[in-house]
Amino acid sequence: MISSVMPSLVARLRQIVGVESVLSAHSELVAYECDGFVIEKNCPDVVVFARTTEEVAEIVKTCNEFSVPYLPRGAGTSLAGGCLPVGGGVMIVLTRMNRILEINLRDRYAVVEPGVVNVWLTNALKGTGYHYAPDPSSQGACTIGGNVATNSGGPHTLKYGVTVNHTLGVEAVMADGSIARFGGPAEDPVGLDLTGALVGSEGTLAIVTRVWVRLTRNPQGVRTMLGVFDSVDDATNAISEIIGAGIIPAALEMMDQGILVAVEAAFHFGFPLDAQAILLIEVDGLEAGLDGQRDRISELCLQCGAREVRHARDPNERLLLWKSRKQAFGAVGRLSPSYCTQDGVVPRTRLPHILRRIIEIGRKHDVRIVNVFHAGDGNIHPILLFDERDHAQTARVLAASGEILDECIACGGSVTGEHGIGVEKISFMRKLFTDDDLEAMNHLRTAFNPEGRLSPAKMLPTAGACGLEQKSPGRRAAL
Amino acid sequence: MTVAAEILPLAETLAPADQQELSAAVRQACADRTSVYPIGGGTSLDFGLPAKQPGVGLSLANLRRVVDYPARDMTITVEAGITMTELAQTLAAERQWLPIDAPQADVATLGGVVATAFCGPRRYGCGTMRDYVIGISAVDGRGMPFKGGGRVVKNVAGYDFCKLLTGSLGTLGVITQLTLKIRPLPERSALMVCDVADFAGAEKLLAALVNSGTTPAAIELLTGPAWRDDLALGPIDRGAAARLVVGLEGTESEVAWMLEQLAAEWQAQGVRSSRALADDEAAELWSRLREFPADREPPLVLKASVRPGRTTEFMQAVLKLDPNASLAAHAGNGIVIARFAEFQAADVSRRLIGVLQPAAAALGGHAVVLCSTLGDLTRQAVWGCVDEATAWMGRVKKQFDPQNILNPGRFVFSDG
Repeated sequence: MISSVMPSLVARLRQIVGVESVLSAHSELVAYECDGFVIEKNCPDVVVFARTTEEVAEIVKTCNEFSVPYLPRGAGTSLAGGCLPVGGGVMIVLTRMNRILEINLRDRYAVVEPGVVNVWLTNALKGTGYHYAPDPSSQGACTIGGNVATNSGGPHTLKYGVTVNHTLGVEAVMADGSIARFGGPAEDPVGLDLTGALVGSEGTLAIVTRVWVRLTRNPQGVRTMLGVFDSVDDATNAISEIIGAGIIPAALEMMDQGILVAVEAAFHFGFPLDAQAILLIEVDGLEAGLDGQRDRISELCLQCGAREVRHARDPNERLLLWKSRKQAFGAVGRLSPSYCTQDGVVPRTRLPHILRRIIEIGRKHDVRIVNVFHAGDGNIHPILLFDERDHAQTARVLAASGEILDECIACGGSVTGEHGIGVEKISFMRKLFTDDDLEAMNHLRTAFNPEGRLSPAKMLPTAGACGLEQKSPGRRAAL
Repeated sequence: MTVAAEILPLAETLAPADQQELSAAVRQACADRTSVYPIGGGTSLDFGLPAKQPGVGLSLANLRRVVDYPARDMTITVEAGITMTELAQTLAAERQWLPIDAPQADVATLGGVVATAFCGPRRYGCGTMRDYVIGISAVDGRGMPFKGGGRVVKNVAGYDFCKLLTGSLGTLGVITQLTLKIRPLPERSALMVCDVADFAGAEKLLAALVNSGTTPAAIELLTGPAWRDDLALGPIDRGAAARLVVGLEGTESEVAWMLEQLAAEWQAQGVRSSRALADDEAAELWSRLREFPADREPPLVLKASVRPGRTTEFMQAVLKLDPNASLAAHAGNGIVIARFAEFQAADVSRRLIGVLQPAAAALGGHAVVLCSTLGDLTRQAVWGCVDEATAWMGRVKKQFDPQNILNPGRFVFSDG
């Protein structure tokens, strides 16, 4: 950004939000140089904390007037560089817009500001019999605005759907500084489903300042079990058998031995450390159907060669199991100084194949890979372990990552199930989509963001966003 | 295609053999600035504003292949011209289904149902079409083929064209192929019914159903002549205002438990008599619930969407204007389908724009016309109010169809 405009830009922003809500000193800005994707870093020129929709609108108008790029940011837990301020500019932080504005149980919705942390909403609903279904593993930190931007998933999205399936409407500040509302508490809004188009647009179409979310009834009962396997192949076959039998568990997660060792050291759950893989399987719904589903799943696991199937004895044991799963990434630090997580998706029947290929690819590149992932959705998260001080090893990790994602594409899958394209995966877009597909995506972006000032150089491999050449993978904060 | 030619101003109708041919036809039409009307089963050609620009019909009749059906992945990829019945039969062979209740399923095509986002009673328990489309291919107004999504159930690569095109009425692109997430067929599908004395009582039962121990697939509140002497339901209780029908689906044991549970809940709430329909009666009633909006006899069929808790208020607003209207509400979702018995051309501004649309807005929603015999309706009458959201839709439309040749004049856009 041209530094000559900085003083007047900062002065104007201070007029809008107050002196204490604008950061412009380098020592303060450095905290905002990246999100959970730490490979590429760049400081914004200014960070502004907005408190109201109107403030966001004024900030956007000011950026337009000064012709500077700008982008929104929630908690910064995103994993693909969606919050990276490419080209600097103004970062609009929404974490102070953190009120739950309305909870309406009769009509099964809540209205929240974008800075509300995911788990706050479910906490606010305790005792009502309802919850907010999307549960990304980072739910203790990530914001609902960020979930909307990336269309976040989580373990329980297997049965309940991802963020877009629970978003009824949004209010947004558009790239011209106007305020628009799409959808709301009533279903089937008239005209195009622009709510659906905005969810998952990674902050490139508009800045969401209010969200109408669907609330979900708590299930009457739940059964949580642990399938213990002596081979990864048997475990992935069991996943395929369970889904193939027409059972949709609430969640179906896999952890291999590599990650189990770390998780056990961290949480002392009592995982069998000699097992090659475990499946964490949960079914929920009416009590009348649960034991039948549980027994059927146990049977399928045993048929596929499971050594044993354990059942969570009580709610506490269940909670510890889920804590172990959701914080598995925190435990990876016990395994190596650095790690790199991938986010591929394959058709569920191809899980045995892709896991075998991951093992082969790891061997070929001499990279240790451990796995913990949303197996029921076919959404894999191989974790590549390395020491970033070792440049040769680092290069091998990058090569292995790329090869795994290419294999996902070859299986008819995708390179991201829930983390997003951001800046990290722009170079894969041409492998997934044709030039025409990408042109159509550009049309959508142009309709909303014609000047390209909002979140530039994200998601699409257009001029100015040709895909970053990755030099070194970095640590990842959470999944 | 005689039916299509009666409704649309068609000079000719083309039936391309594949997406490539279809794309060439649209490219040609774009060059000639000729309007293009995509035609699936022809069941919704009168939905939206009447088409006025002469143009070519583009039939999807030859694009009806099952492209890929990996049943064990619980996804299917099909061409858009496949009928809903053919799709259902294909899926049923693997004990799977797409739980979207589209009327006239033997002719209605998947592409048409996606384009109109029609959705019936099961939306309470199963969601709507937008929850099932995971991959989509289309041809835009320049004749450029494009796609979004993919063939896996979880995917956030690129913009979500599946959502953008679902319900777009063919105005951004002609949908040619779809990949769907599908579900296992439930073992059993039952219906429980009770008559309710008045709408205040109905709302009490509806509010209680939201917190019921059961997990209904459908919650339907029915009133008017169409339901008074329904064959499956039997004659309505003397003096009752409406009939409440609850769909319960799942395994045998789940449904058996829910039937008992709901009967007990209703009894505790003061319902004097309720009953579970026999399986054959239930199947017939499901079918009538599904077909209700497709009845083309009435002068006007309206669809309103309000906050679920305000459903009965909107139903009463309709009955105040036309005591002989027949209504079916997907009451768990706040959707009311109203078939008017009496509706004059003069009522459009007086009653529709003057009373019903503001009533729906006051209840948190809106009302649109599904079909009418009243002839020339305005955009305001069919689609309701114009706001800032519509302006953004117009900007999207301009990008995908710069010449405005796809279904011109039928949707919400202010300049066509």
